[in-house]
Amino acid sequence: MDRETVRTICYLARLEIDQEKSERIQKDLETIIELIGSLQSIDTSNIEPLFNPLEMTAFKHEDLEASDNKKDKFLENAAESNEDYFLVPRVVE
Amino acid sequence: MSWETVIGLETHVQLSTKTKLFSRASTAFGASPNTNVNLIDCGLPGVLPSVNKEAFYKAIRFGMAIGAHINQTSIFDRKNYFYADLPKGYQITQMDLPIVLGGSIEILTNDSAKTINITRAHLEEDAGKSIHDEFDGFSAIDLNRAGTPLLEIVSEPEISSAKEAVAYMKSIHQLVTYLDVSDGNMAQGSLRCDANVSIRKSGDSELGTRTEIKNINSFKFIEKAINFEIKRQIKILESEEKVTQETRLYDSAKDETRPMRSKEFANDYRYFPEPDLLPVVISDQEMQKIKDEFPELPTEKEIRYQEEYGLSLYDAQIIASSKSMADFYESAVASVKNYTLLANWFIGEISAYLNKELIEIHESKLNPENIAMLINRIDDQTISGKIGKSIFEEMCINGSSPDQIIGSKGLKQITDDDSIEKVVDEVIDNNPEQVEGYKSGKEKLFGFFVGQVMKKTQGKANPQTVNKILKEKLTK
Amino acid sequence: MSIQFKSITELNELLDKKVISPSELTQESIELAKKYNELNCFVTLNEENSRKKSASIDRNQKKSSLLSGIPLAQKDLFCTEGLRTTCSSKILSNFIPPYSATAVEKLEDAGSITIGKTNMDEFAMGSSNETSFFGNVHNPWKKGFVPGGSSGGSAAAVAAGIVPAATGTDTGGSIRQPAAHCGITGLKPTYGRISRWGMIAFASSLDQAGPLARNAEDCAILLNSMSGYDSKDTTSLNSDVPNFLENINQSIKGRKIGIIKEFDLSDLDTEVQKRFEESKNAYENLGAEFIEVSLPNISASVPTYYSIAPAECSSNLSRFDGVRFGYRAANTDDLNDLYVKSRSEGFGDEVKRRILIGTYALSAGYYDAYYKKAQQVRRLIKNDFDNVFKSIDLLMTPTSPSTAFEFESKGTQNPVELYLEDLFTISANLAGLPAISIPHGQVNSLPVGLQLIGNFLREDLLLNAAHVFQTNSDFHDAKPNLENFK
Repeated sequence: MDRETVRTICYLARLEIDQEKSERIQKDLETIIELIGSLQSIDTSNIEPLFNPLEMTAFKHEDLEASDNKKDKFLENAAESNEDYFLVPRVVE
Repeated sequence: MSWETVIGLETHVQLSTKTKLFSRASTAFGASPNTNVNLIDCGLPGVLPSVNKEAFYKAIRFGMAIGAHINQTSIFDRKNYFYADLPKGYQITQMDLPIVLGGSIEILTNDSAKTINITRAHLEEDAGKSIHDEFDGFSAIDLNRAGTPLLEIVSEPEISSAKEAVAYMKSIHQLVTYLDVSDGNMAQGSLRCDANVSIRKSGDSELGTRTEIKNINSFKFIEKAINFEIKRQIKILESEEKVTQETRLYDSAKDETRPMRSKEFANDYRYFPEPDLLPVVISDQEMQKIKDEFPELPTEKEIRYQEEYGLSLYDAQIIASSKSMADFYESAVASVKNYTLLANWFIGEISAYLNKELIEIHESKLNPENIAMLINRIDDQTISGKIGKSIFEEMCINGSSPDQIIGSKGLKQITDDDSIEKVVDEVIDNNPEQVEGYKSGKEKLFGFFVGQVMKKTQGKANPQTVNKILKEKLTK
Repeated sequence: MSIQFKSITELNELLDKKVISPSELTQESIELAKKYNELNCFVTLNEENSRKKSASIDRNQKKSSLLSGIPLAQKDLFCTEGLRTTCSSKILSNFIPPYSATAVEKLEDAGSITIGKTNMDEFAMGSSNETSFFGNVHNPWKKGFVPGGSSGGSAAAVAAGIVPAATGTDTGGSIRQPAAHCGITGLKPTYGRISRWGMIAFASSLDQAGPLARNAEDCAILLNSMSGYDSKDTTSLNSDVPNFLENINQSIKGRKIGIIKEFDLSDLDTEVQKRFEESKNAYENLGAEFIEVSLPNISASVPTYYSIAPAECSSNLSRFDGVRFGYRAANTDDLNDLYVKSRSEGFGDEVKRRILIGTYALSAGYYDAYYKKAQQVRRLIKNDFDNVFKSIDLLMTPTSPSTAFEFESKGTQNPVELYLEDLFTISANLAGLPAISIPHGQVNSLPVGLQLIGNFLREDLLLNAAHVFQTNSDFHDAKPNLENFK
């Protein structure tokens, strides 16, 4: 795990690390990656991943409307909003 | 140097379900901002998605219609990226096990047919909408559209011109509307596409560097955007430079494509199976039910129209070309006797009017009952075809019924011989010179007499009777 | 008379005999929470609503459920409508949910009263409650010592006798380990037993809500109310929910309990080993048989967990972006800057660490090696459990390798040191199995927990085994001396 990799994953996760902490974080990440890297020694050929402990299938809901919209409460929770919209700094496409 | 264009299209079809893909909020278009938003669509902490059954059925119907393989077990994945109108910071989509795999679509350009193979079609949720230019310094987020079910149809890169791309989109439009999978309303964004365009030297086997033009939402813009992009890329290649792989936007006002700023960083979407949703399984019984309830497709309708209503193949094709036209015809034909006359009106007046106005029949003021009434009035000689046309014009403007127009304007055809004979006598008496001319062999003058009679009756005289009586009187 | 340290069963008796009214009970519970403010169990107290609700229960004079009028505390990652829900994070420090979690709703529908929201490790990431934005929670047994985590506030509130029971969530041991460190009983049910709707997600395929209480019987009372299928959580189980109190008293004679060969207990503190041997003997005296079983892949649980949980967390926590709710940094240049600053200022170090690890484990080129690999090993671990449960009823392990430790004494140099706290608890989450921790004595005046793991949906056997143990011992009755916290 080099500094460039840390920078890339920080970008993807939209996080920035303080300068003084960056070395520490990089070291921590290395330690954890080493821990999870230990799985490589286990033979998993032909083993299906278990993405969820419930080996069942999804319930499908009917196409019937049921609104729990609370527009005012939704907008109230936003740091910036007007009477109709959530607001963010202007985006240039 | 001759160049070859390679185009692949990713078409987003908004499914016409009542509710969203993972919530039961309404998908109705045009609601006031942030009202068609459930807790789930707002991406609030702690909420969980559940799958809309109907979205699956619609996707499967499409898959069956294009002869694709249906994955009866499909899974959802998360596509992770940040964007203001993407509430959860990921989009739920299908990556490894899409609902529809393979299949093909027939397209028609300049009367030659071509088959475009489909790679896959998968279900995914739409994002919300950002409004960038109405609020000073802010972009405004409306999540009404967030979570609306989309079927993303990915074509093989087998399309070789802008015209073919348009034909392909038209085929998809026809199919999804016929299947009742989507309303196909392009102006409202129900059907839109991303075009991957690349250029290579003719004969090369390797593909050139491609650009992706995002979110094109009309047939006209597809053609223009792709043609612009083809020219742009050829110009670059001819000056021995390299095309940059990038995402571009089509600006219809300037008729050009330009790179999209917000996508400048290469992203890594970190797909992984959505842990909040278990695999979705469609049972054999469900598959059978979808098959049993399969709607009639255009070619089936064409055959039926020929058999049931005695239409020509050509007429049947035109009427069956769009779902709304076919629905309209079928609804009108139930109350008329003269099927051919009705068909002629569809091919003639009605099509001409719709083409002129650039609208679909269901967007016009016309309705099947009124058209059937109009045909019946012509058929039973209450009015002439010509009066019929003027009534039709009025129907297009205000949607009134033919009987209303006939009644209020006194347009009922004069069919009794006595009344017409009276007018014919008047015309002959008033125009001795022309009578002389006609009798001396100027047979073209016959039209003049017809015209005069029609003028005096405000066009209401039955033309056949007028002809008959005039002939008798003039040859006396 | 004080209601402190009373169990639900005891409180029901007082309510039935009208020794105390629900209003007085709730009020006293709130007073206790304030009195022991220094423990820092609560992030938010729900005083006004609690008073209103307990008063309405007075008026009705109707006692339909065993939870009617009982004060409870909710871990602060269950959404509570109109009541601040923070996940002990700065990023949610002002979040007022417009809806309530199903688990909370069910408990409240049964008549219980939510007196407050308990402190926890930020977003449930931690094993010591030291990652909370609202500060450390003290272990009621020893000031300056951790209560365990992540449900540390809930465990401490129950251990201090403020409430008879509280909710928690368990992703890798977050109910059981703090229950062990605080000397109370904590149950992690089968994955899917309790709806996750409204429970702010850490790792979706591992998270499960459950009760922390003074004893197994009270856990059963809460579980009865919390369980059941919820159409809003399609990963919740559509299976019958038994009455968990029904067979809780039956004899455990002939129960086969497995001891996991791969867990070498000789590395543990000798006193911890001794407590384990003593409890084994106690169970033998109650008629249980012990069998050594092998789960060949169980040693891989910790690395498997630390690949899966951060990966899911990195995605689950993407919604905290400062746009629709939660903390938004001031003075940002553009949208990207808003994301980066809001998230960097809003999340603590451990949360950031896990998001980064998860982002890495899912990124192109590493997905197969880390995330997918871990999910494959997860299946091997589950297969191991399936295999041993063919011949045994329960598994028994220590809950935690050690007792509660001093603040900032573990994991400060190396985060993995703290991750190993969950060595014995994590595998149940990976396999989705139910597990319980019960107090079984002390080491150096600090409680020690015993873990029982059950087969899929067999919470009944766990509660039965725990209850029978508790009716024949008094470890669960031990009370901390709270003199130092007044």
